Amino acid sequence: MSETPAPLCTAEQITVKYGKITACDAVTFGVEPGAVYALLGRNGAGKSSLVRCLLGQQKPKAGHATLFGKNAWKTRAKAMERTGVVPERPDAPPAMTAPQLAKFCSKLYRNWDHAGVAQRLERYAIPPKVPFGKLSRGQAQEVMLALALGHHPDLLILDDPTLGLDAVARKGLVEELIGELADRDTTVLLTTHDLAGFEGIATHVGILQVGQLVVNEDLEGLKGRFRRLRYRVVGECVDADPVGFDCGPVRVVGQDVEAVVTDFDEERFAAFGGEERIEDLEQESMSLEEIFIAVAGGERD
Amino acid sequence: MIRGLRIDPTSATPIWSQIEDGLRRLVSSGALEAGAPVPSVRELARELRINPATVSKAYRHLARDGVLTVRRGDGTYVSDTPPEVPAAQRREALREAADAFAALAATLGASEQDTRRELERAWKAQQTTKKVTHE
Repeated sequence: MSETPAPLCTAEQITVKYGKITACDAVTFGVEPGAVYALLGRNGAGKSSLVRCLLGQQKPKAGHATLFGKNAWKTRAKAMERTGVVPERPDAPPAMTAPQLAKFCSKLYRNWDHAGVAQRLERYAIPPKVPFGKLSRGQAQEVMLALALGHHPDLLILDDPTLGLDAVARKGLVEELIGELADRDTTVLLTTHDLAGFEGIATHVGILQVGQLVVNEDLEGLKGRFRRLRYRVVGECVDADPVGFDCGPVRVVGQDVEAVVTDFDEERFAAFGGEERIEDLEQESMSLEEIFIAVAGGERD
Repeated sequence: MIRGLRIDPTSATPIWSQIEDGLRRLVSSGALEAGAPVPSVRELARELRINPATVSKAYRHLARDGVLTVRRGDGTYVSDTPPEVPAAQRREALREAADAFAALAATLGASEQDTRRELERAWKAQQTTKKVTHE
């Protein structure tokens, strides 16, 4: 195995508190170059607090964030030269038109791609004379994306980018991201509560559950270890749980059992199926959405 | 687009592996002819709505094994002489699939005649897809 390249962005034991509420609880993870890291969590799970820390906009109560190897809180301005951000709520001045915003932003960066931004705005069919505040939610998000990519960032951070977008706008956003990945191999960190469209492009997944990062791994590994098992328990046995596996939610209806296991393994599966009290054992892959629900769906925030 | 390439993003089988196997199958069945162009990484990624790196990985493996050829600055093609599936491997795969099919037929209580007829229908359908793609 070759050495893992240095992550572009890390959270090191980040803890954020608001009064007695802990929004992030010693969260640690990193985003490697070329990765598309999808940080999932239900509303209020602590995603936005974490993103603000990663961007150096908020100082965590404990721990720290790094961007390009440096402390994010201390070197924010420098790191932003290589980072593009699409915030949760479009925050551009509402009176300015898209071309005016592009011109304004171009002065903040040395390597601004005027032609590239203009092409994007045209492709998105953003009306050039309408002020930002009067654009639709989808258009505003597209303008923010065009601006975020204007200086060809190495790292693109999208905070719940599909919030409030309709299906068409969402499809467009995912396609733009795919194009950007194909062209520039940009590293992406995105947060979302809604996976539609991102499952195919994510390489890594983190799941925040009430402030704690309960999943942090690559998507292939995650999908490899989660399975839904279905079987029937016969005889007088009272224990319905899948023996030998770590399991998530287990549902029992009469003799029929449906269980989510989090450490699937073919050999143990065969052994379990061979037990006398177990009949009709089947296994089924789970989509990222199903895994997310199994992990984060159980408890209310 | 590649006709006959099906991807299930929810499956536990990695998507690059599904693309790799799918293309191998289409090439060895003749549905994708020797020398035929395949979509660029970017095109296929957009079409399937997946990460371009995933497509790249599948294409890399197929190029390494001589199934695809990358012509620099031009595009990616099925090799002029794609490697055939070794006879022993083909026989084993066929046998495995036939065993599973026969076992299912027996469980369902299907007659030999019905079982054969379904197999023939499936075979003919395959041949038709092949012809359509060739045209």
